[in-house]
Amino acid sequence: MAQEDRRETTNNPARVAVTAAGVVSPLGFGLAETLESLRSARDCVTPVMRFSVTQCRCKTAGQVSDSRLLARHAQIPRSGRLHRASHMMIHALQELVTQQPEFEPELTVIGTTSGGMSYGERYYRSLNAAGDLRHAPTWIANYPAQKPVIDAQTAFGISAPCKVIANACASGTNAVGHAFECVRSGRYQRVLAGGYDALAEMVFVGFDSLQASTPEKCRPFDCHRSGMVLGEGAAVLALENLDLARERGAPVLAEIIGYGISTDNFHITQPEPSGVGARQAMERALESAHIRARDVDYINAHGTATTFNDAAEARAIRALFNGVPVSSTKGMMGHSLGAAGAIEAVVCLLALQHQFLPANINFTTPDDGVDLNIVANEARPAVVNIALSNSFGFGGTNASVLMREFPPSPELPRTGDA
Amino acid sequence: MSLAIAGMGWVTPLGTGIDSVWERLLQGEEASPTTISEEFADRVYSVFRVPGSALKGISHPRLRRASVVSRFGAAAGLHALESAGLKPESQNAERIALIFAISNGGVTYTKRFYHEIVSTGAQSASPLLFPETVFNAPASHLAAILGVTGATYTLVGDGAVGLAAIGMAEELMANAALEYCLVVGTEEIDWLLCDAYRRWRLLRLAPPIEPFSKQNRGMILSEGAGAILLARDGFVTIERAHPGGYFGRRGEAETILRRIFCDLGQIEIDFAISSANGTFVDHVESQALQDLVANALVYTGKPALGESVGAAGLWQIILAAQALRSKEVPPVLHTDQSVPLRLSLSRTPVPSARRAIVLSCGLNQQAAGLRMAIQ
Repeated sequence: MAQEDRRETTNNPARVAVTAAGVVSPLGFGLAETLESLRSARDCVTPVMRFSVTQCRCKTAGQVSDSRLLARHAQIPRSGRLHRASHMMIHALQELVTQQPEFEPELTVIGTTSGGMSYGERYYRSLNAAGDLRHAPTWIANYPAQKPVIDAQTAFGISAPCKVIANACASGTNAVGHAFECVRSGRYQRVLAGGYDALAEMVFVGFDSLQASTPEKCRPFDCHRSGMVLGEGAAVLALENLDLARERGAPVLAEIIGYGISTDNFHITQPEPSGVGARQAMERALESAHIRARDVDYINAHGTATTFNDAAEARAIRALFNGVPVSSTKGMMGHSLGAAGAIEAVVCLLALQHQFLPANINFTTPDDGVDLNIVANEARPAVVNIALSNSFGFGGTNASVLMREFPPSPELPRTGDA
Repeated sequence: MSLAIAGMGWVTPLGTGIDSVWERLLQGEEASPTTISEEFADRVYSVFRVPGSALKGISHPRLRRASVVSRFGAAAGLHALESAGLKPESQNAERIALIFAISNGGVTYTKRFYHEIVSTGAQSASPLLFPETVFNAPASHLAAILGVTGATYTLVGDGAVGLAAIGMAEELMANAALEYCLVVGTEEIDWLLCDAYRRWRLLRLAPPIEPFSKQNRGMILSEGAGAILLARDGFVTIERAHPGGYFGRRGEAETILRRIFCDLGQIEIDFAISSANGTFVDHVESQALQDLVANALVYTGKPALGESVGAAGLWQIILAAQALRSKEVPPVLHTDQSVPLRLSLSRTPVPSARRAIVLSCGLNQQAAGLRMAIQ
């Protein structure tokens, strides 16, 4: 129990290890499938079949296969009644627990944007149409945002108190970042971090109404980019005090070394055009990690492919970094909102472990206003010692986390060294 | 690490001023119920609404189209800053982190957004409404009003989320560069929520809320916001926020509460601010209180103010702080006097009270607690 043996903040911050991870996304179920999709730069965006999109501009999304997702988990009673997001969280946590059965978190920090929105939709539709409400208690039970987290923890006998962060599209990175701060400060030794979001019709329609989503391919940072496509998924990471993890013989997959958060107050749905909020988040992450911008080998950008986001993010990156390889992996899997930051942390983890740069697909025409070293269309091998992952969201929330290969490589010439 | 309360603000069905609402509670007043209906349904529910006058003087361009939940949160947050003598200006904004605690969020706008799509199709979806349906919209508006450029978080959960937000504030304040953390809990009422809670058999169709009754007759929903400005020095300290846990079944809630008491209650506790609201929560809290802090005076403000879910935890902390400051505890209304608890059945002086526990057992599987003290 965290409170019983909680340590006060120390002047010597703890190092924070990632000792296990699990992921479900359009790229695949688990780390191995995700790695394979990333290496082959697979476009996993498909036509939406879950609900009608005939009246929407956008017709596609990154989707997790139901046939695999909803396969009953024998250990979970009434699994048929669970939210799709609960199934995603269960799959992701199952992978983590399989790697680290001894990992007992003292705290869980999970990000989401939509929570149980799809159950709110069902409930409202049935009420409005005076339809069948026999299942209303189940729909209502699945509405609270903490439900998928509790379902997943219950499935594996984890009893940690959970904090659910809903900072829009930055939620997943905020969750990983806050969990990192909790371990680094010494208040906790083991924290489960991650994010989830399942595709919901009203959310899909909402982004369509803002004309933020595209009827075409999602082309982050491309001159002809025309918007995002939505995605879905879940990812979890086991964060531990590095020294204690090594003491117990746990494998260290990577180290989280920095976290930055900022708020820009420009507009509820648009980033500040100069990218000041994004830049502050990245600067604060670098300060938190005590490293220089030139130490970073790869940036997994927020890169939604909306005109405004990519322009502002590119300005922010250019202001701090000189030629560091950048890709947005959302072209491959869509934007999974509250899950995105957690999934992209896993993408960075894989890039560090397997020494490659994930691709920014559908990139055909460079944008003069986006002067970045884009990892265009194909993944490529590279020395990746430190990776930065960005997430920015509605309401001007900006978050960046920095991860380092473990054990750290000796000094080597790096791509994009400033 | 203990934190101190430097300022407080609330927006409640009994009004807004900390001292004026407190005085009304001491006098045994309760909010007046109003009814809430829906055009496509016959059923009508009783709720405790915030009076329209409560938001007077709260204006900002960001709030022009904002949901009620955002306005409640902004009003309470600004009141908390004002009570601490802080102005929303850039030099303060650099030093303040903001945490919002929310359960259902902007449900009225969310329903309107659904309604337009369900009635006339996706093409009629409003780009103005959609951003207000996002959980962090209220935090975003207040951050913009205050000019906050650092950490802004929105936590989502049940009635225990307010206490979880205080715990998160403790975690953020581990950063010595941060001077203040403004924690705001906010909630608005909609017919849809009433209907959902009724289907869960947690709602009573009309007041009163009868806490600690032998029969759980249910709660009445209310709305509003509570805000606490946390600093390193202040008039009341939050000695320890306990993250509690979650319960798979209602019966497991008592185990979590016992754990919270064991961790928090090792020092003598003078009174407890309970979250009893006429539901299963009452029995669970009652058992734990009887067994573990039997001598503590017990108060719940929910019969007077209603169950405001996301705002409830912050209201409870304000109630505890006021009781510690004023050395009085208001009367618990409409309660079963035979319950084996030391309930505050009238305006009760507590001249030597030094420590209080705040308990929050949410309706959706979460429970948390914290301990407060006055020097």
